[in-house]
Amino acid sequence: MTGQAFFVLTALAGGPRHGYGIVGEVEELSRGRVKLKIGSLYGVLDRLATEGLIEADREEAHDGRLRRYYRLTRDGRGALAEEAEVHAAAARAVRARLGLTGPAAAGAGG
Amino acid sequence: MSGGLGLEQRYRRVLRLLPGYYRDRWEEDMVAAFLDSWLTGDPSDDDAILEFCKPTWGEVASVVALAARLYLGGAATPRRYFAWGQAVRNAVLAVVLVQAVLVLHVLVLLAWSRRLFGLPALPARLMVSSPTGVWPTVFYLAHVAWIVIFVMLVLGHYRTARVLAVLAIVPSMVALLQAQLNGIMSAPFGPWAFWVLFNLVPVLAMAAFHSDAPPPARLPWLLALPAGYLLVYVPLLAAQATGNAAWLPDFSGLCCLLVAFACLVRVPRAWSRRAAGSGVWSLTLILLAAVAGVYRIITLSNYLRDPHLFKVCLAELAILVAAAALVAPDAARAQAATPAPPPHPRTMAA
Repeated sequence: MTGQAFFVLTALAGGPRHGYGIVGEVEELSRGRVKLKIGSLYGVLDRLATEGLIEADREEAHDGRLRRYYRLTRDGRGALAEEAEVHAAAARAVRARLGLTGPAAAGAGG
Repeated sequence: MSGGLGLEQRYRRVLRLLPGYYRDRWEEDMVAAFLDSWLTGDPSDDDAILEFCKPTWGEVASVVALAARLYLGGAATPRRYFAWGQAVRNAVLAVVLVQAVLVLHVLVLLAWSRRLFGLPALPARLMVSSPTGVWPTVFYLAHVAWIVIFVMLVLGHYRTARVLAVLAIVPSMVALLQAQLNGIMSAPFGPWAFWVLFNLVPVLAMAAFHSDAPPPARLPWLLALPAGYLLVYVPLLAAQATGNAAWLPDFSGLCCLLVAFACLVRVPRAWSRRAAGSGVWSLTLILLAAVAGVYRIITLSNYLRDPHLFKVCLAELAILVAAAALVAPDAARAQAATPAPPPHPRTMAA
């Protein structure tokens, strides 16, 4: 799973969002490191929809245009949880190697 | 008043770069999201934005990148785009393979010149000297990089291959520019044509190697490197070493004949109605025939003063065109079938 796809799925884990809502949420989640252009976003959404990881939720009228909202599917939730576990395991390994785990590290940090 | 297109129309014009099937599914959604990213909610500001603003270069670039990914598609795209994607990927690998074999040839000559591995003395006409000085060494290493680029592409390290390829073609371009500016270009168009067709175009076409693209068949492509050298360059080397080089074709002639031979090998499968997955390799060969043909035509100017060799070049071109025509119907078949695109979330909506 690409970094962009991971952030898009994470954005949708908080509830259904429309296209630009996803862009904003991804930027916030990544602390400004991932700024999706619209072309990139819809490349990712198309791929995730094709893989059955997201689906359309509803459409709402806004300023004379329809906003389509997307949500995670059950498969999407599972894939995201799996990916999150991979990231968490990697983060644990990094922290262990840097000696950032355990009470001593916590004490030194605080 | 701007008197021109508004922001929405300008963005829709950019979206025309995308395939029709994709626009049918996503255009309205993309336009809505794009306008959301611009509008402030203040009516007077929004009117000015809608009338005068233009999509940023970053937005345009993201649509161009998406278009390249879709037209040179992966397995999830409609068949004609997948066929084009596979054909371009195969053609890029073939051209990079040619570059890698050329480098391998130079390395073998270099090793032989130094009589490494107990090799006998190399005939004087084939001697190759090692690079001396910074610039020749950079130039040399840039060429050697083609072997690494080929292996990286085959192994699926696309980003590394792209970066190395961009670095590899720059020294050649600088050398050509220097030769052009100093008036010491060996031929009027040939060197530039080689750089464009065998360096720049493959590097640009590496956009087809994206994350949706199926990985190349590793073993056959990796074996193609030594096999290509043994089957093509060893006989050429033997002819040169024995003083029989006069009848050998030049590089563009060799490309024409090799592609023509590959087309003839392909003919039985191309004409077989039972061949599964038919069409992609024929389309690949048509692309390679186009590259070889264009290069042959451009390098014809090298032989304008030699009517005999000029006729030989025309014969090579004719052989290439005739052989490519045999697989052209199968290549067209690869684009014809367009099964339904993948399901769209709209149809799955609650």
